[in-house]
Amino acid sequence: MSGTKPGAKLWAESILLQLPLRVGLGGVFAFAAYNKIGSTQSFANAIKGFRIVDADKYGHLIVTAAYTMPWIEMIAGVLLVLGLWSRASAVAIQIMLVAFIVALIHVILDESISADCSCFGDMNLVCESSVGWCQVIRNSILLVPCSYLVWHQGGLLALDRVFRDKSGDNDPRWTVDRE
Amino acid sequence: MKTLQRVLAIVGGAFLIGTVQAVVFGPVTLGPANLTAGTDKPKGNPDRPSADPIPENPDPPIDRPVATYTGKADPLLDAPVPEGSLTLREAKELWDAAAYFIDARHEHEFEAGHIQYAAFLESKLFDTDIARANAVMDSIPLDGTIVLYCVGGECDASKNTAALLEQYGYTDLRIMGAGYEHWVAAGFETATGSDGGTP
Repeated sequence: MSGTKPGAKLWAESILLQLPLRVGLGGVFAFAAYNKIGSTQSFANAIKGFRIVDADKYGHLIVTAAYTMPWIEMIAGVLLVLGLWSRASAVAIQIMLVAFIVALIHVILDESISADCSCFGDMNLVCESSVGWCQVIRNSILLVPCSYLVWHQGGLLALDRVFRDKSGDNDPRWTVDRE
Repeated sequence: MKTLQRVLAIVGGAFLIGTVQAVVFGPVTLGPANLTAGTDKPKGNPDRPSADPIPENPDPPIDRPVATYTGKADPLLDAPVPEGSLTLREAKELWDAAAYFIDARHEHEFEAGHIQYAAFLESKLFDTDIARANAVMDSIPLDGTIVLYCVGGECDASKNTAALLEQYGYTDLRIMGAGYEHWVAAGFETATGSDGGTP
């Protein structure tokens, strides 16, 4: 058996689309995580400000989320940049984006809540710090490349291709051996 | 199936690293829980150590020089500011009325110069030195008028600190749309050093 070399179209897709999307999306999430990991107290306060759960009863959940979520973003972001476990990383980011969007809409619709996004720690990307539709739109836009990477994975330049498994979990266009 | 396992591995790994981080650096505190706007509750643990509390705004106010205005729009004092924030004139009027001022810029900027009587409270202080942040908050009543400032323009530092203070129950938070440099340019009162603004 010998592997068939990918065609020019796949190379073009990998170089022009998948690589920039991976590095861009992964980089954004790793950057966001970096800012939050250094400001866990602020992030915990921000989560509490969203009033998703009662801070009196479920404060431990808020603290757990404040410590865990940035590291999910960091691990998934770095893996996505490297192209390792690309699909799983993109799925993790996708789930987080959907959760963020739901939480943001919850805050926007409840006029009694005035929360700070803290999406990028003390920094802001595109949108202002206070929660608004801008963050919902931004996260919805980020869902597009994320979904694409879930669908098409990391491409030929991803480490997945180096450490590709034979489980069939990877995109068959790049992993199947043909004779 | 493999993807699901890997997603769970990412989440599990994040949880483990987060736990180690909490153990090594100490857990976070959520501050006073379930605060309601306008409710004046006692703040914090009375036994906790204080750190460099800012001087209380005196009541009655000390003899601060009061700005005199001509009634005409001034290009500096009445310069346009982002919606919902204070012009330099409005901020100065509140300063004259002994409102609490908070400097949300970096500490080295505060030490180089700040509005007189202002306290340093960068949002990062809630992470790096919560005792110091608590000390500042203990100096200010929950219903006190607080004016926050940074460098003005697109600076969000004031908003970030204001958002944190709001979570601690402060109800009258105002953002100075103009920055510290505008305050200096107007010739208003300033102080230097890390003495919390003591003149």
